Amino acid sequence: MLNKLLNYLALAGAYFRLNLKAQFEYRFAFISQAVAMFVNDCIWLVYFILFFDKFPVLNGWHAADVATLWAVTAAGFGIAHAFFGNALWLPGIIVRGELDTWLLYPRALLPHLVLGRISPSAFGDAIFGYIVYIAIVHPDLPHFLLFTLMTFTIALLFVGFSVATGSLGFYLGNAESLAEHWRGSLIAFSTYPMGMFKGNVRLLLYTVVPAGFVSGFPIDALQKMSLLHAAYSLGGALLAVALAVVVFYHGLSRYESGNMVAMRG
Amino acid sequence: MNSLRKYWAIAWISGKSNLAYVGEVGSRLFFLTVILYIFMRLWQEVFAHAHVTRFGGYGVTDMIWYLAATETILMSEVRVSSQIDEDVRTGAVAVQLVRPLSYPLYRLASNLGERAVRIVVTGFAAVLIATWLSGSADHLANGLLFFALALPGAFVLHFLGYLLVGLSAFWVEDTAGLTLIYSRLVMVLGGMLLPLELFPSVVQPLVKALPFGNIVCGPARLFIHPDPAALGLLLVNQLLWIGVFSLAASAVYSRALHRIALNGG
Repeated sequence: MLNKLLNYLALAGAYFRLNLKAQFEYRFAFISQAVAMFVNDCIWLVYFILFFDKFPVLNGWHAADVATLWAVTAAGFGIAHAFFGNALWLPGIIVRGELDTWLLYPRALLPHLVLGRISPSAFGDAIFGYIVYIAIVHPDLPHFLLFTLMTFTIALLFVGFSVATGSLGFYLGNAESLAEHWRGSLIAFSTYPMGMFKGNVRLLLYTVVPAGFVSGFPIDALQKMSLLHAAYSLGGALLAVALAVVVFYHGLSRYESGNMVAMRG
Repeated sequence: MNSLRKYWAIAWISGKSNLAYVGEVGSRLFFLTVILYIFMRLWQEVFAHAHVTRFGGYGVTDMIWYLAATETILMSEVRVSSQIDEDVRTGAVAVQLVRPLSYPLYRLASNLGERAVRIVVTGFAAVLIATWLSGSADHLANGLLFFALALPGAFVLHFLGYLLVGLSAFWVEDTAGLTLIYSRLVMVLGGMLLPLELFPSVVQPLVKALPFGNIVCGPARLFIHPDPAALGLLLVNQLLWIGVFSLAASAVYSRALHRIALNGG
C-alpha cells in the first residue's frame, strides 16, 4: 500500500517536471499568464480591502481577515491546478472523445488524466496566496503551518470538485459551460465572508457549492487556531475527492470512443 | 451600402449560431443568479451595518438593479482578443485577409451579432432574477430604454479594447494574460460592483477620466437614474473614446499587417 502510494507520488513528480518543461518551451506565454493572474488577484484584493474598509459588513473583520480569505482560496485553487491542471479541461476531453489516448496507459486512469497538464495561471494564484499571507498577515510558525495544511486541503477539494463537475460530461454530453460556471460559483462564494450567508443557502454552501470547506472551516481554523475546524475542512475535501472518483468511474462506463487518432509525447 | 450589408450578414449569422447553445445559456444564467444573490447579501449587510437607507443616491434595491445591469453587460461580453490570438497562432488570419472584408470590421460585426443575442437573453434573465431578489425597479421601462440607447457605444468601445489586446498577438506568444488584465480593469475601474461616484473621493477623478466607466457604470447608472442629459454626455464620451481607440487600433493593425509572412503551399 505504502509502496503504491510512493509510486504514484513519484509519477506525480515526474509528470510535474515534464509538464513544466513543456510549458517552458513557450516561456513568455507561461510567465505572462502566471504574472497576469497574480496581478489580477492583487487588483481584487486591494479592491475588497478598500471595500470592506469603507463598508464594514461583519463585526471584527479587518484587512488581515480579507487577505487571509483571498490568500487561502487562491493558494488552494492554484496548488490544485498547478499539479492537476487537466481537471479543468475534463469536460472538453470527454465531449471530444479524447479519453481514448489516456485509456491505453497501464496505471489507474484518473490520476494519469488529471496530472497530464498544468495550468500556467494557477502558479500565479498559488504564489499570490503565499506572498499575501506572509506579507499582510505576518503569521507566526504555527499559523503558517496551518495555512499550508489548509491550502493543500482546499487544493484537494478543488480537484475533487473539478473532476466531479467535469465528469457530468459523461452524462450530459457537453458539460464545459456548466462545469466552468459551477466552479465560478464556488470561487465567488469562497471569496466572501461565510457569515454573510444565512439559512438554506448555508446548507448549499456545505453541499452543492462547497464554499464552506474553502473559506468557512479553513478561515475558522486559522482565526481560532482550531485543529477541529481543520479536520472538518480535510474531511470535506476527502469526501469531495471520494465523490469525484465515484462519479468519474461510473460515468466512464458510459463513455464512447471518439475513434480519434492522437499521439502523446 | 453593399459593404454594410456584408457586415450585417456576418452579425446576423453570428447571432443565429449563438442561439444554438441553449445549455451554455442555462449555465450562464445559473451563475448570474449566484452572483446577484451574493451581491444582494453583501449590500443588505452593508446597509444594515451602516444604518442608512441610501448611499450616494442608491438604495439597496437600486444597488441590486445596478448590479443586474453591470453583470448583464459583462456576462454578455465576447472576448474577441482570444479569437484574434487563435487566428494569428493558427495562421487562420491569412485566410481571413484574402476575403473581400476588413478583418477588424469582420470581427466587429461578428462580435456585435453574438453580443446582441447574449445581452437579450442575459438581460431578460437578470430582470427576472433581480425582481425575484429585490422587487421591481423604479422607472423600469424608462430605465431599459436609456440603458438600451447607451449599449451600442459601450459594446463598440469594449470591443475596441479587446481588439487592441488581440492585435498584440502579432508581437507576443500569448495574449491570455493581457486579456485577463484588460477584463479586470473594465470590471473594477468600470464600476461593476460599485458605481464610480461611490469610489473614494481621492481616486474618483482618475476613474472618471478613464474609458472603462463608459462601458459599465455609465449605461448601468442610466438604468437606475434615466436622465436625458446624462445620456447625452455618456454618448459624447463614448464617441470620443471610440475615436481614440479606433485611431490606436488602426495604427496597430497596419503595423501588424507588415509582420505577416506567408509561405506558399
